[in-house]
Amino acid sequence: MKTALQLQQRIVAFIGGARDDFDALALEVFAFQFERNAAYRAFCERKDRTPDRVAHWTEIPAVPASAFKQLPLTCFPPDDAVTEFRTSGTTQPCSGRHLFKTLDLYDAAITPNFNAHLFPDGAKMPLLSLVPDDPHSSLAYMIRKLGARCVERLETVEQPVCLLGTAFGFLKLFDDGISLRLPPGSRAMETGGFKGRTREIAKTELYEMFEKHLGIPPTHVVNEYGMTELSTQFYDETLYVGHQSDVKHSPAWARVRVIDPQTDEEAAPGVHGLLRIYDLANLWSVMCLQTEDLGVREDDGFVLFGRAPGAMPRGCSLNAEALLSA
Amino acid sequence: MIATLDQLREAVRRVLDARQFLLEARRTDAIVKALAAAAQHWLPPSSPWRAQAVEQAPAVTGFSTEMVNEAIDRIFGAITAESLGVFLDRELGDRRALDEFHPHGPAQARAFGVPLIVHWLAGNVPAPGIHSILNGLLLRSGNVVRMSQHDTVFPRLFVESVREADPDLAMGVELLEWPHTDAALTQAAMAKADAVIAHGDDSTMAALRRAAPAGATFIGYGQKVSFAYLCREAMTVDQLPALAAAAAEDVSVYDQQGCLSPHVIYVEERGALSPRKFAAALAEAMGAFQARIPRGALTMEEAAAISTTRNGYEFRSASDRRIALWASDKPNEWLVVYEDDPSFAPSCLNRVVFVKPTDGGRRVLEAIQRHAARISTVGVAPISERTTEFAAQLARLGIHRVCPLGQMQRPPLWWFHDGRANLSPLVRWTELG
Repeated sequence: MKTALQLQQRIVAFIGGARDDFDALALEVFAFQFERNAAYRAFCERKDRTPDRVAHWTEIPAVPASAFKQLPLTCFPPDDAVTEFRTSGTTQPCSGRHLFKTLDLYDAAITPNFNAHLFPDGAKMPLLSLVPDDPHSSLAYMIRKLGARCVERLETVEQPVCLLGTAFGFLKLFDDGISLRLPPGSRAMETGGFKGRTREIAKTELYEMFEKHLGIPPTHVVNEYGMTELSTQFYDETLYVGHQSDVKHSPAWARVRVIDPQTDEEAAPGVHGLLRIYDLANLWSVMCLQTEDLGVREDDGFVLFGRAPGAMPRGCSLNAEALLSA
Repeated sequence: MIATLDQLREAVRRVLDARQFLLEARRTDAIVKALAAAAQHWLPPSSPWRAQAVEQAPAVTGFSTEMVNEAIDRIFGAITAESLGVFLDRELGDRRALDEFHPHGPAQARAFGVPLIVHWLAGNVPAPGIHSILNGLLLRSGNVVRMSQHDTVFPRLFVESVREADPDLAMGVELLEWPHTDAALTQAAMAKADAVIAHGDDSTMAALRRAAPAGATFIGYGQKVSFAYLCREAMTVDQLPALAAAAAEDVSVYDQQGCLSPHVIYVEERGALSPRKFAAALAEAMGAFQARIPRGALTMEEAAAISTTRNGYEFRSASDRRIALWASDKPNEWLVVYEDDPSFAPSCLNRVVFVKPTDGGRRVLEAIQRHAARISTVGVAPISERTTEFAAQLARLGIHRVCPLGQMQRPPLWWFHDGRANLSPLVRWTELG
């Protein structure tokens, strides 16, 4: 246990800005998780990727996100969990569970990354959240930790504010006809997409509505990509680079690869694929997650397209999603 | 080429004229002869129709060239003068019913194809569209066909092959393309329709039903899935290779894009061989089928869906003995998932199939009950007294086709497509006496 805590402290320090080697840390985390998590170990053995055969972080086996729906993926007795976050089941009947032995890593990972992408200018302003509180929502937890104030509705303010909400929540606000001119410098973080919602719109259309309804230009709206199964969030570089951009970068303690599902190999530049995320802050669950989200590599970052829809049948056949939702 | 409103109206006028001036006076045996000749021209390896389809269809439909060749053999091999004659006899009582009055009880009756049929094709698999056009031509109706962007090749080449065999007959069909979102064009096509035959998803079906004239016959073929059920009697060493090959064929043909493709194969336990053994044999047969007829091109979304399914089951199989999987060496060619869980698991398509053990037909009925309205075909082995009883129970759930395993993708011309006759809803009768 001492080694695990030392590893945790080392990762916390890395997140806090200490110099360290991602690859070396990743291999240590992998060896730790291989030893502590029987289901993961069995999976790695099946793939013949055991710690003695893995020489680089890119070779670490990725756990499919759906595995969180099947069993608690922990490196500790599940009964010892201090917190449980759940995925919002959309079309799937059961939700996934991410159990935490400690929130130290989760907490450490929230603020530096958020600040780097929402306040690269060092601005200080109140955070207002439109996300309903929910003890099992990782998003709600993150927003609490950031010290945001939950508001039911928005009103005119004198000083700039930073709004936090889901894309769907903001859209509802716009559909309800809100019309404010928030002070210049105000900004917004939107997240979550439209999974399973009745109304979907394009990102550009949504961002135009931020400007029209709230006076926040697209250069001040940032998309956040987070998952219940992870401990680290990813953000558009928009405010950081000073113009609207869909590119996200990993913080030092995480990596994102794009895997071409046609080959199961890393996608060539410009080729779309499924995002595979390596998150050292996921020390007590699984570090390497195979998401069901499509994206593409862009320079040294990535662009997220969102959840890959079930293969859409071209005609009279029916896919799983359609059948189960019928 | 997207049709304009004027082109569409002109097309309607042309097929109605063709019907009135060229087709009405034709006799069935001549039409049967022409259609059979057109179909037979597709079959030789050197057929120009085949060559064009093989050249053009893969890019549009996504199917491999081998699959296109297989589709041609299946579709056109089944269209003969004999089978068309039997088809007419079965559906209209007598193949001459469209030519003359013939006995109808103590009186006489004669059938007339409705003047105008609008066909709305889905384009996922070629057979339904070709059969739809074939039916309209057999009945000497005027046919306006809205093709899907996913398959403009097969309908066009088929009509051209009919034109070669019988130019007048081909005047009875106009092929057009327009976006399904263009309500004005859809309305214009439908305005004079006596019958609408629609293939497609639920929203398309609902929209077309609304657009069809109040008095028109509406025949909708909505989205369906299929499954198979193997009895323990079939689970013997002797029968295993043939059964596995038959199942692999049903799964692999048309890459599960059609509604006749099985998603799940239920296998009864307590046979000489276990359901797991069957799954392993099926995997081998899937590999053999892939070697002969490769799966078609996948979109990124399709590949992602398979990859996600495979990863999920691979993870579970490592520590859950109720699950096993067999995957092609190259990613995504085919995937067999064995899962000891009776629930009906729809596949993500493109040659991904579940094998599930079951202790009997009753359990299967429970598992599929809530999806029954969405199930087209049930392949069974063997056909026996037990499976006849099973078929009766499936019928009570509203499932319309039970057939031998290996025949799921080969419905005869006269099959009751989604439980209905094909020609009789498209004719009107005149009685004499």
